[in-house]
Amino acid sequence: MFSLTVLYDPECGLCRRAHEWLAEQRKIVELNFVPCASDEARHRYPQLNHDLTKQDLTVVGDDGGVYFGPKAWLMVLWSLVRYREWAYRLATPELLPTTKRVVSMISQNRYQISRVTGLNRLTR
Amino acid sequence: MTIGISTYLIYLAISVALTIWVARTLHKNGRVFLVDVFHGNDALADSVNHLLVVGFYLINFGYVTLALKLGYAVTSAEQSIEALSVKVGMVLLVLGGMHFFNLFIFSRMRRRSVQHTQPPPIAPDAFTAVRQEA
Repeated sequence: MFSLTVLYDPECGLCRRAHEWLAEQRKIVELNFVPCASDEARHRYPQLNHDLTKQDLTVVGDDGGVYFGPKAWLMVLWSLVRYREWAYRLATPELLPTTKRVVSMISQNRYQISRVTGLNRLTR
Repeated sequence: MTIGISTYLIYLAISVALTIWVARTLHKNGRVFLVDVFHGNDALADSVNHLLVVGFYLINFGYVTLALKLGYAVTSAEQSIEALSVKVGMVLLVLGGMHFFNLFIFSRMRRRSVQHTQPPPIAPDAFTAVRQEA
């Protein structure tokens, strides 16, 4: 796999901040950012359920593999030079349930987290 | 030459010989690891290998030098042997610790480089068609 497309939620401040952070990281696999359920996303992936991608982070590989929610987060970590090791560690059978719980919790409360931390005031 | 001076000299001789032996072993056998880590870049591997061995020598000789002082007078051969056993034993333990630390560094470097070519940790939830850019 050579590139991953990240379908992110442009209305969430936390996601925009994460996007900026990711842009600065050194990568093993190229990351493309496309706002979820946008025209571009619908054009690229005509068969994908785009309403579902609004609910949680979705990552699509260049081979068409769809990773949803916690799996998408793990794939993003996996694409980074410094955090690939962590992707493998967090995906082990012992840690995967905790990873999923924590990631789901953050995802579901992303608007509240953005509001509390003031991230939703960021422009761009 | 007093028995005290001889004890110090024997200690230095044993410690220095041990350090050189361990460093050479590391240098000789660590190279294969490093060549693999740097994807066959021999020049880079040799350079890093050499730098690691220099650090190894500095730390060990530093310890050997600092630990030289006995703090009491050695008057008999028995005392000399006992003093040597403690001092050389400590040097061996430090060398062992350093050796494993080096192995740990080698293996971590190797794991990192191997991970760059490994597949994702998880399977996708589904597959979708990808429209190629025109």
